[in-house]
Formats: sequence, structure tokens, C-alpha cells
Amino acid sequence: MLLRVGAGIVAIVCCLLLMWTAARFGYARLLGKYAVAASSIRAADEAVALAPADAEVHRARARVLNRLQMPGEARMSFETASRLRYRDDYLWLELGRTREELGDTTAALAAFDQAVRYAPYYAHTYWQRGNLKLRMGQYNEAFDDLRAAAASRKSYVPSLIDLAWGISRGDAKTAEQLIQIGTDQDRFAFARFLAQKGKGKESVEQFRLLVAGSSDENRRALVRELIAGKAFREAFELWRPDPSLKPPVILNGGFEDAIDLGSPDSTFGWIVFGKSEAKIVRDESEKLSGRASLLLGLNGNWNAPAETITQTIVVEPERRYRISFGVKTKDVVTGGPPAIAVRDLASNQVLGQSEAFPTPSSGWQTMRFEFSTTPGTQAILLEFTRVANACSPCPIFGELWLDDFVIEDVTTVNSQR
Amino acid sequence: MNLKRRNGPRVIAALILFSIVQVGLQVGLAEPTVTTTATTIVPQVVGRLTTSNNSPIQVNGLSAATGASILSGATLETGADQSATVNLGPLGSVEIAPNSKVVLTFDDQGNFKALVMFGCVKVSAKTNATGEVATDQGSQGKTNPASGGDLEMRYQPGSAPALGQGVCRSPGGAAPPSDSGTSGGLFGLGVPATIAVVGAGTAAGLTPLFFTDDQNNPSGPSN
Repeated sequence: MLLRVGAGIVAIVCCLLLMWTAARFGYARLLGKYAVAASSIRAADEAVALAPADAEVHRARARVLNRLQMPGEARMSFETASRLRYRDDYLWLELGRTREELGDTTAALAAFDQAVRYAPYYAHTYWQRGNLKLRMGQYNEAFDDLRAAAASRKSYVPSLIDLAWGISRGDAKTAEQLIQIGTDQDRFAFARFLAQKGKGKESVEQFRLLVAGSSDENRRALVRELIAGKAFREAFELWRPDPSLKPPVILNGGFEDAIDLGSPDSTFGWIVFGKSEAKIVRDESEKLSGRASLLLGLNGNWNAPAETITQTIVVEPERRYRISFGVKTKDVVTGGPPAIAVRDLASNQVLGQSEAFPTPSSGWQTMRFEFSTTPGTQAILLEFTRVANACSPCPIFGELWLDDFVIEDVTTVNSQR
Repeated sequence: MNLKRRNGPRVIAALILFSIVQVGLQVGLAEPTVTTTATTIVPQVVGRLTTSNNSPIQVNGLSAATGASILSGATLETGADQSATVNLGPLGSVEIAPNSKVVLTFDDQGNFKALVMFGCVKVSAKTNATGEVATDQGSQGKTNPASGGDLEMRYQPGSAPALGQGVCRSPGGAAPPSDSGTSGGLFGLGVPATIAVVGAGTAAGLTPLFFTDDQNNPSGPSN
């Protein structure tokens, strides 16, 4: 009986002790969380005093100290936490970051090594260590780690490319060596990145190295990136369906082929803006030559005439070109007659413009105008304009037809004159 | 028959040996080729990013958080609740306030520049380094390399840039609350929170008592 009572008392005491320990532990954790939320060093210290063997409260204290710009003390707390829970890769990473903050990169690297050791199959440890090595000037070792991270987590690939590009100071070959592209997916990402940076030639080279990823969809996407990066010539080379097409050329200048209204592939060729105020159709009943022409029917308003129908044309810098086209008008009544203009796509500067279209009516006639490209011109935009300065608002009525657009390089002809 | 029995183990041994050689050969062929082609890189300053609460900001349009490397020419953009600091080692540091977009350039000659598209920055240059703040309208100020120092600038397109100490109110994010401004209660938890913590602890401690199986209690559950 006495033994049973004794055993019961011991059991109760043990339970109470365990309860007390659990309560202390839980309360210490609670204080640790509060300390981080409120940046309270007093609460963090109390948490550590309550549960000195708990890594979590040391981590909380270290975080508070870091936030209060006391990295020296934070380092000690992180070191204690890492000793208590040495398999926690995140703890090692936090310790490494704090050590680096203090300028002790060697010790920081040792901490990151531990993080990699205990989480060798995760990307974040390699990524952090790679970044540290990069700052330490160990470039090749850094990219070994960064590549390992990107191979494990694809979302790191754009950052890997960006870092390789930056560290190579914009040298595509060096960047490629650092990235060591292994898959079509990564190579296409690199090609797009180069296009965005205006490195058209290098971008197209990468695209041509794709084994199975050079689909039409990818090609169109890259053409759009190249145009956005102002690499017009390379965009055209990648886009052209027929390698015999050589710039400068106005595609479908005679409107013999159908015009794809609202095509997603609106890069080269005619781009028709969907506007209700100007009826734009291919007309087979009227033509200067061939089988058809383009009809524009105008019913009063014509806002932003430049956004009616346009075409991007790749040209050479510092050359002189002539654009000719056929035009016919019928009952065109306006104070600001239309004309055709060309604009430098890089600088948006107007390079040349035709005479105003004849009004009110005329038969087919061929109009010509010449313009010179600047040293920076790579491509021009052919568009409508209106020859009117004092006409606002400027209604326009009637119909006009266009046909046989041709561009010629007349640099040599003019210099001989 | 005896001859067959004598040769049997030899044949089996030969087959096993052959199989092992095959496996060994396969493993040898399957081993990845390790290419250790070192790329030559010009040594350069690489900055280190620290973000408030380790929340990611945009660097060159990509998400980046504390520990990311910042290279010269990087564009950094912070959101409404984000701030960041770029530590440029021997050059100094650049603090970027929330809602800012900055292009950061630096070189090995001790020069670094924060081109502010919009928002607020604080440039802190060390001795022998020159920190500069600029907008699309041009340079707005440089530090003296002989003494180092700070430059702080707020800029919004369409308005004149404001320079001077304090124009970026708490560029590193909201100032952490100090311990002195506590609202009473245990460790500054506040009275309600303290009551809640103590109450919860007491309740947890007493819980086993409520569920004690008292056999003498006639109203207790019967077995």
C-alpha cells in the first residue's frame, strides 16, 4: 500500500515536472515569437533564460539583434543555435549571412558549407553559397554552385543568366561559358535574354542551336523579343519564311496576298489596326497592277492616321532610299489630305514623307519620295500621315486605293548624280 | 559425365566474371565527363543585397532577397512595404526606400552612382570612394572622397529633386519599435496579452485535474 502511494506521488511529481518543463518551453517559444514581432531584446533574453537548450529561442534572439543592427551579438546567438540544432540548413544560412555582414567572409563560407552539407539536394543552399563566392571573387566556383541551384530549381535560371551576363560585362560568349547551358529550355531562355539586351546576332545563334525547341511559337516569341530589343535585322532574318527575301523589302507591296487582320504574328508585313472610322479592305476590282489593291474608305473621323496600316522595313544606316507606290482617290474631301511617311523605329524621327494625295478624285498615279537613314537607323516604319497643320478637327470623306509599294536603295544612284 | 561436372563450375565462373566485367564497363562508360574549363573573369566589385524582413524586391525585373548579389548596372525596384540596402564593400552602401526605382552603377575606381527613376535613396560613401545621386535631369550631388559621407535624395518625375539629411524618412523601412515604449504587462506584452498568456498557462496546467477519474464520485461516468 505504502509502495503504491509512493509510486503515485513520484508519478505525480514527474508529471508536474514535465508539465512545468513543457510550460517553460512553450512560454519561451511564445516569448521568442513575440520578441521577433516586437523587436524586443528583453523578451528574447527572457526566452533564452527560460529555455537555454532550445535552438529556436536563440535564433529568435539573433534575429532581433540583427534587426537592431547588432550583428556581432546576433552571430553568437546564431552560433549557439547552430550548435544546438546543427542539421538545420536555414540556421547555417542565417549564421553565414550574419558573418558576412560582419565582414568575415571565410567564416560565412564555412557556415554556408555546413548548410550545403546538411541540405545537399536543395537549391537554396547552393544559391546562397554561390552568391557569397561571387562576392569573394571565386567566380568559377560560384557559378558551379549557382548552376547546381538552377538545375535543381528552374526558377533560378533567369537570375543565373542575369548574373552571368553582369559578371561577364555583357559578353555573350563568356556568359554562355558561365551558364553552361544543358537543356533546350535554358538555351531558349538565354536566347530571349540576349534579344532583350539587343544582342540580336548572338540571340539568333543560340536559337539555331536548339535541338528540339525551335518551334514556330518559340520563333515568334523570339522575333517579338528581338524587335522589342531593337534588333530588327536579326528579327527579320529569323522571321522570314523565305531565305531569299533580302532587306530592304516591302512585303506584299501589291496587296496580292490576303492581309491578315489582327494576326498574332504582327511583326513584319502589313499591320492593320482595327478601327471603325476607316474601312480597310483588299479590293480586287481596282488595281494599278496585279490582281488587287488596298481600299480605304473614310467617313468623317480619322484620328491617329499613323495607326491605320503600317509596315516595318529593315534598312541600312546612312543610306538613301526611294519609296514608290500607286494611289487613286475618289471624292476625297478634307482640309488635311493624306500622305505616306516613314519614321525611324529607334528614334521615332520622321525621315521622309510623300506629297499629299490628290483630291478630290484622280486616276491611278505613281508617287515617289526619297529619304536618308541616320547612322543609328536599323529599321523604318511606313505609315499614313496627313498634310495639315491648321486643320483641327479635320474630317475626311471619300475613298482611296493604294498599290505597288516598292522600296529601292538609291544611294549609289544619287552619289553618281 | 565427370568431364562435364568438372567444367560446369568453370563455365559458371567465366559467365560471372564476364557479367561483372560488363557491369564495370557500363558504369565506367556512364560516368559523367567532368569539364573543368575555368572562365577568365575580370575581378570586380559585387554588391550584397539586404532587404527588410528578407522580403524580395525586384532586381532587373527578377525577384531577389537578402544575400543576392548586385552587379553594376542593376535596376532595383521596391514596393510599398519593401526597402533594401546594397552593401558595396569598400565603396559604401546605398539604402533604397519603399516605392523606389534605382539604377545602381559602380566601378573599381571607387565610384558609385544611384540613378533614381523615382523614390528615395541614401548613399553612404566610405573614405576614398565617391558616391553620387542622380536623376534623369543629371547629377544632383557627390560625396567628397577625402572624407566620405552621406547623400540623401527624394525624387518624383515632374518635380524637383529634394536633397538633404532626412528627406527619406526611415529609408530602411519602418523603424523597429524600441523596448522603452512598451505598453505594460509582462515584458511589454500589454495587460490583455499578459492575462491571456497567464490564463492559458493556468488553464493548461489545471486541465488534467478536470479530467481526473474520481472513482468515489457517484455522478462520474460508469464503466
